[in-house]
Amino acid sequence: MNSHDRPMCVQGDSGLVLTTDPKPRLRWTVELHERFVDAVTQLGGPDKATPKTIMRVMGVKGLTLYHLKSHLQKFRLGKQPHKEFNDHSVKDGDRATSLELQRNSASSSGMIGRNMNEMQMEVQRRLHEQLEVQRHLQLRIEAQGKYMQTILEKACQTLGGEENMALPTRTFKGIGNHQGGLIPDISAAFKEFGTPPLTFSSFQDLNICGEHIDLHAQSSMGERSSSFDGFMNLSNTTTDHNLSLGKKRSSPYNTSNGKSPFMWSDDFRLHELGSNNEDDHQIIQMERSCNPEIDSVSDIYESKPLLQDEKKFDAKLERPSPRRAAQVSSLSAQGGRNSVFG
Amino acid sequence: MAMMVDETISDFDCYASLSTPTTTITTTTTTTCSSSEEDHGCTWNEWSPVFDWDAFSGGDNFQDLIESMIQGSGNCFHNSEEDSAEIMEEEEESGDSNNNQSEDINGLKLVHLLMAAAEALTGVNKSRELARVILVRLKELASPNGSTNMERLAAHFTDALQALLDGAASGTLHAKHMFSPNYKDEHHQGDVLAAFQLLQDMSPFVKFGHFTANQAIFESVTHDRRVHIVDYDIMEGIQWASLMQALVSRKDGPPTPHLRITALSRSGSGRRSFGTVQETGRRLTAFAASIGQPFSFHHCRLDSDEIFKPTNLKLVRGEALIINCMLHLPHFSYRASDSVTSFLSGSKTLNPRLVTLVEEELRPIGDEEGFVGRFMDTLHHYSALYDSLEAGFPLQSRARALVERVFLGPRITGSLARIYRARGEEERCSWGEWLSGVGFCESNISFANHCQAKLLLGLFNDGYRVEEIGTNKLVLGWKSRRLLSASIWTTMDIDL
Repeated sequence: MNSHDRPMCVQGDSGLVLTTDPKPRLRWTVELHERFVDAVTQLGGPDKATPKTIMRVMGVKGLTLYHLKSHLQKFRLGKQPHKEFNDHSVKDGDRATSLELQRNSASSSGMIGRNMNEMQMEVQRRLHEQLEVQRHLQLRIEAQGKYMQTILEKACQTLGGEENMALPTRTFKGIGNHQGGLIPDISAAFKEFGTPPLTFSSFQDLNICGEHIDLHAQSSMGERSSSFDGFMNLSNTTTDHNLSLGKKRSSPYNTSNGKSPFMWSDDFRLHELGSNNEDDHQIIQMERSCNPEIDSVSDIYESKPLLQDEKKFDAKLERPSPRRAAQVSSLSAQGGRNSVFG
Repeated sequence: MAMMVDETISDFDCYASLSTPTTTITTTTTTTCSSSEEDHGCTWNEWSPVFDWDAFSGGDNFQDLIESMIQGSGNCFHNSEEDSAEIMEEEEESGDSNNNQSEDINGLKLVHLLMAAAEALTGVNKSRELARVILVRLKELASPNGSTNMERLAAHFTDALQALLDGAASGTLHAKHMFSPNYKDEHHQGDVLAAFQLLQDMSPFVKFGHFTANQAIFESVTHDRRVHIVDYDIMEGIQWASLMQALVSRKDGPPTPHLRITALSRSGSGRRSFGTVQETGRRLTAFAASIGQPFSFHHCRLDSDEIFKPTNLKLVRGEALIINCMLHLPHFSYRASDSVTSFLSGSKTLNPRLVTLVEEELRPIGDEEGFVGRFMDTLHHYSALYDSLEAGFPLQSRARALVERVFLGPRITGSLARIYRARGEEERCSWGEWLSGVGFCESNISFANHCQAKLLLGLFNDGYRVEEIGTNKLVLGWKSRRLLSASIWTTMDIDL
């Protein structure tokens, strides 16, 4: 009955009329308003009635206190002298009609005008609220991410502190074996978040100390929706200390397979570059020696090419260079891996 | 192709002949089984594929099942033969359709075996020996590191059933034993942390529960200066990070209220992967300090019986009391229902402003379906969970296997233990219904809360959806299966 009035409205299951905007909002139809007025009258008038009690009396599904609060407020205002009402809500064209209606019954006084204004206000209000919610959601997720970091940092310290700072010559395989059964699971698990060979080239071209934000902008791959990209940027902006380490910042989630954006250590990215960059091998070694157990996690970001290049890897380790040494020492200065998990 | 057909038939046959309850065949089967029991490499394929269907006309439970299996496999065979013909003609990826078919067949096999095992364990004709043998077969077929979801799921269910079997056999099936968090503590701390991180990144469950509860709490304390939250199971405390952030940056009402959190701590909970409750408290205190949230932390020790006594709490006049009860998030340990009951009913006496409850959403099962019905429902539930993880991260099967092993496996064990203990009893209602029954009133989920949940899910896979049930509950589901519900309750009618 109501849906033919305006093409943009649909009647929901609950009998409420909602618009088909992207953000559906309630439309106070004549019928609904009459029920509202009945309920209010039952409860003893607009001043005695409260949104909660009205809701119970009306018994309309999908009607929230939010709807009723605003409507009740307008209703209360609407029962003020006509002068106020006319000033606030009625448009010129409707004034005559609304005055007539006012004389007829209090319940339908100015309903038409009220509806139109309500619509406008509702639209604005809902829009505003959704934006607020979105903003708050981002902040809250960030906060969670920060907290997660504190957990992981603590754990990293606990676990890493158990091992001494090993010499850089520790081999890839050596570490793997050293940790025993724990490693295969975690490393295998995280291995999958490494990049496929395709994406290597894009990272190789980039400066090792480049801004991670750029990487995100560059990465266009992935079946993920763009909301995830937003998320990735979001999560990475919180890893301030990563930036300070001056490392390559790419998130493993720039890949076409890994989807999860949060807080993975960007340092792991180095492993993917490792096969093509001698320096990275050395850095990887330093990382591992800092936190042998957690470094099993850093094995995670081993991509396939790196694994295949194991032999090359060992060979490269034995050729120190001044530059590498410098990088190594800068790493050691950073101390324990704060950002193992991102 | 022919090979596969033969093997499958004989597998089904073995299973079929095992599952008959008719006496004559049973005795034969039992003997054969017991001999094969010793020999774990029992060669099922050598059993004769020919058997007497008439013997099954006794109308046992399994006849339909077996027929459906045979029909199912018959269809599969038919299809795969067709496919193979097509393949040869069209030169498409040869192995692909065959692999899918065999995957489906294997999946079906596993489900049927699991059901048979459940039936054997608790059905009318229960037989521990039969169950044992079926579990042996399941272990051969399914491994926790398998390549398909169904295989890994079946492996965990097999382990759970095995635990039930062992427990029942030795008579030590205590609630505590099955529910103990030791299952998780056995894992290395690094494992657990990694799995937790993965779980959070790959799925919205944790965030959904936390954010929905926090939003409701945030909205209810807009005009308060002091807020006191009693947290049933604080775990690592991550829920409160986002609430603190919200409180610190709120614009209406008085400036940032003082937040006090009391966490229940359990003695003898073993080595906890996220540290003790005290450690969580320290972490939260540090975090609060870092963002400028006035904060204090207390913990309330529970005795070994884990019964909550409200008198142990310190309350302050004028504070808004919130009860927070997170029950079935994927990384949580199972809590005995006595403990939860004592907590919630104790809370009622304190007249809290709000009670936030997050629990898994299970389909209510009538008692006539018994253990097997609930078992299958649990299987369906976790299957949806596995699917949801896979859909978002199809290539990261190792990562998912880790999460499954560390968190979901123990939950499956706990779930089955719970429904095993409850078999024969009345169907248990959800905690939400229980709250409603003891006099809590529903409190509304605001538009903002619902909106937030929808936005959150939008960041993950399309298959997730959120429903608003009643006025006070949001349910997170995967495709058509509801998984987790967050509901808000209050004790008194507050006029707005």
